Amino acid sequence: MSQSVLWEVVKGNNAFLVKRNGLTLSTDPFNNTGVQTYSSTGFITQNAIGVVPTQSKVNQINNVNLVARKSTKFQQVDRKTKNTQSVYASTLSVKHGIHTASRVIRKRFGTRRLGLQKAALRKLVKLNRANAVRRRNEIAATKAQKK
Amino acid sequence: MTSVPLVSVFSADDSSKVTAKHIPLPAVFQTPIRPDIVSFVHTNIAKNRRQAHAVNPQAGMQHSAESWGTGRAVARIPRVSGSGTHRSGQAAFGNQCRKGRMSLPIKVWRRWHRRVNIKQKRHAAATAVAATGIVPLVLARGHRISQVPQIPLVVEDKIESYEKTTDALNFLKRFGAFEDVQKVVSTKVVRAGISKQRGKKYRVRKGPLVVYFNENAKLLKAFRNVPGVEVVNVTRLNLLQLAPGGQLGRFVIWTQSAFAHLDKLFGTYRYSSIIKDGYQLLRPLITNPDLARIINSNQVQEKVQPAKTTKVLHEVQKKNPLKNTKAMDRLNPYAKKQRAAAAAAIKANTKGTKKIKKNKALKKASRAAYNKVAASLNDATKAAVQEEQDIKVKYFSVQKGAAQTE
Repeated sequence: MSQSVLWEVVKGNNAFLVKRNGLTLSTDPFNNTGVQTYSSTGFITQNAIGVVPTQSKVNQINNVNLVARKSTKFQQVDRKTKNTQSVYASTLSVKHGIHTASRVIRKRFGTRRLGLQKAALRKLVKLNRANAVRRRNEIAATKAQKK
Repeated sequence: MTSVPLVSVFSADDSSKVTAKHIPLPAVFQTPIRPDIVSFVHTNIAKNRRQAHAVNPQAGMQHSAESWGTGRAVARIPRVSGSGTHRSGQAAFGNQCRKGRMSLPIKVWRRWHRRVNIKQKRHAAATAVAATGIVPLVLARGHRISQVPQIPLVVEDKIESYEKTTDALNFLKRFGAFEDVQKVVSTKVVRAGISKQRGKKYRVRKGPLVVYFNENAKLLKAFRNVPGVEVVNVTRLNLLQLAPGGQLGRFVIWTQSAFAHLDKLFGTYRYSSIIKDGYQLLRPLITNPDLARIINSNQVQEKVQPAKTTKVLHEVQKKNPLKNTKAMDRLNPYAKKQRAAAAAAIKANTKGTKKIKKNKALKKASRAAYNKVAASLNDATKAAVQEEQDIKVKYFSVQKGAAQTE
């Protein structure tokens, strides 16, 4: 379904729309800027990447997931990881490094959608840094507890 | 679309098993998405369930109130007749008065219902069905479909024979629809406003819609107690259920026979509907709605002028080219050569004058002469100073400590 048509349906009202204080924001997982605009609304496209924080567990190093929008309507099972992908997105955990994740983002957007690419990378970096800080604090807390 | 999109039918017991691999999508799902038609039809059809109500026609009018007229230093509004009570003499009848009747009291013969053209209603229903097959629209409506194996979700007819709610629940869990049910349960909220005292205490969201075909299916009873889930027969598809609130993209679970019946119900682009007499599916106004693709196509790009760049004046601080060589070079590339030529010319001009070689002997002689002069000057100064002192000693006996003689 074309992005233009979907946008006309969805721009007035959708589940991710948040209007507050005169701002039109979006909680769309595929939107890395947070503001609802035509180009940044990822769930109506077929090739967006969302950078999404996951539930924090104490031993998880990176608590960030990349959610890549798929164009097929079917669920697929990733043979290697045995993860079932959802109908609209495949998920990549950023456990093994921010570099893999950034390569995925760069490859997906290439030279065409620099704005979206930058937004995704920016969010990835920020979340990663936040995680690092949190992890550091957790370690410090456990150390203090042990003492 | 040249290739027909295909859909799998899932086994009711096992969501990973597919009973029918590739069924062609019914033509309804290719109907153009027309939110304008849906919105219009929905606002009108939603009024059809209203029950007539009215205000008591006598409310506020059960007085023999009369205006006191002018000359009594009161407003001319009708006033309650009689005496012996506070109420007497108080204003009555007007909408602005306390205890007066409302303005334009609601009558039972208000036009509660709206009729909508059949064709419009059918187009709206078709669009709504099409929207249930589009994942972003179902997401936008707020359904939780991350675990659902396929959209549109088609399941074998076995679920039509479910009688127990546990069977229904387990089925929903197997197909990832339970997340949507959980959403409904967790967002059940006491309604704001007076309606809560009038039998509408809770506001409950909509969950999945289960569509079946066979009339003697028992699944209605199995599914009806599951919060948020609605069950409907394919022949009685309701826009108010397919697009609740006028919002397209309900999460629908089809049984195989219901899904197969859709072609007969709505017809295709090759034949008109068999059941809806004379109904032909809506054709798109634009065959290719992908604007980005059109704009980027060769045919358009060939004709189009190159994009204008916005030039901002004074974006950079202005540098004076007369003082700043780089700025000058930017404006006049020849300036660099000019400067080099000028420097070379100066160098050439000064080439004639001999360079004075340092003559050591001369230097020594001149230094000696200088020293001589300096020495004689020194001597002269010394002599003068000495003379002054002598005079002082002689005539004033200042130094030597002698007493002063006059």
